Amino acid sequence: MSARSRKDVRRDQLIGVAVFLVLWEVTARALDNPLTMPPISAILAALLDLILSGELFLALGQSIFLLIVGLIAATVIGFVFGALIARSQTAYWMLNPYFSALFVTPTIALVPLVLVWFGFGFPGRVIVVVLAAVVPILFSVASGLRDAPGDLIDVARSFGVKGEIPLLFTVRIRAALPVLMAGLRLAAGRGVVGMAVAETYLRLGGIGGLIKSYGAMFQTDYVFASILPLSLLGIGLVTLIARVERRLHWT
Amino acid sequence: MLATISKPRVLLPLLSLVVVVGGWELVGRSINPLLFAPPSVVAQQFAELLATGELQRAATITVQALFLGYALAVVAGIPFGIVMGAWERFGDILQPYLYAIFSTPRVVVVPLIIVWFGIGFEARLFLVFFWSAIAISVNTAQGVRHARPDLVEVARSYRANRVQMARHVLIPGAIPFVVAGLRIGAERAIVGVIIGEMFLQIVGLGGVIQKGSEELLPAKMLCAVVIIATLGTIIVTLLDTFEKRFQNWKGDAA
Repeated sequence: MSARSRKDVRRDQLIGVAVFLVLWEVTARALDNPLTMPPISAILAALLDLILSGELFLALGQSIFLLIVGLIAATVIGFVFGALIARSQTAYWMLNPYFSALFVTPTIALVPLVLVWFGFGFPGRVIVVVLAAVVPILFSVASGLRDAPGDLIDVARSFGVKGEIPLLFTVRIRAALPVLMAGLRLAAGRGVVGMAVAETYLRLGGIGGLIKSYGAMFQTDYVFASILPLSLLGIGLVTLIARVERRLHWT
Repeated sequence: MLATISKPRVLLPLLSLVVVVGGWELVGRSINPLLFAPPSVVAQQFAELLATGELQRAATITVQALFLGYALAVVAGIPFGIVMGAWERFGDILQPYLYAIFSTPRVVVVPLIIVWFGIGFEARLFLVFFWSAIAISVNTAQGVRHARPDLVEVARSYRANRVQMARHVLIPGAIPFVVAGLRIGAERAIVGVIIGEMFLQIVGLGGVIQKGSEELLPAKMLCAVVIIATLGTIIVTLLDTFEKRFQNWKGDAA
């Protein structure tokens, strides 16, 4: 709706970034307090050091692995329960309140319990990611499968697709795909938060652990340098899914 | 999200509650009490925490930081959002930073907050305030920009002046967006206050969870989790209802 063209916006944003970086550098040097505000040059040097030493990629690799395993698990669980809730009123009334409550409870509040029950290891961390990400997937599966267009179902029936399970796979899932992708996009955003929460709270492994340990050493430049890739990871993942989502809008 | 289910039944959720609590009790009794607490123990712990006043004190601390931070976010976020929406160039330039900050998990920003604000009340207030102010102002800006061109055209052709334009076209058009921002901001605020209480100074309801984890008292943690979940549900449901009302209003206007 904006009256300004994309090109204008891009140009303004580029100038904005340049001004911002210069202002930061100048202010930081004037303040001369690397603890609270390290200059951009120091942050970039720290980032380069993290890249060259391989520390960053090792941490990112661990984080991304955790994220992918967690999101796959969340998708499977969300799918099973979402399908159940969509197809059965009984399941809806019996299960939905718990998932709604899980949705509004901050994941961080559940982490200590997960820690006690499942330990410090990889399974515990995966469960934190699942707890963060499962509800948007479940809700999108439930609403997507419930609202499958009746005419498509009728056509499939008349071509001899019988029974709920074949119908689920031939018609309902495909019709619901755009909604499912929207759920996955929300879940990915929350999953990144869950991943960071798990790694930071458990203080080991991944990009969250990296940030936490540099924070404990009060090396603010390294803290900034390791937060940056994490933000980019989250934004990149969500943007990627949004792209796929836009392509899927055939209905 | 699943609002269009036809027949609301009271019996099934109750039945499911009985099944879940009963199963939890059975499983809970058979597991090491250091790891797991059955509902009876949680209830007992709840009464104990109430009797000593620990829970009330914790809840007061949490609610204070939450409400003050959120109120500040509303007071600062809405005008800032209006400026961002009305002055498009400023909004465009600022948008990427706000988006980047908003999508960064807050737990990783905690080390920075410690060096900037310490671990006290101000630090927690900042965790609550900043992220919900971003949600509110970004949504407000969107609302201001999305004034319907046809309505603006009509108002112009009747020679509405700036005040009339704002009063009758721009503000009513923006309000549904602002209300959506208020809801997202509130969700962010709740998470923010708990992060602050668990990672900075160990106080409030988040602090109760953290202490429960250190003392190996799962019942204590569960008490605080249940209260936080209830608080969150109440606040989000209230704002949800509020939002739906304005959504309908938008529908009527369209």
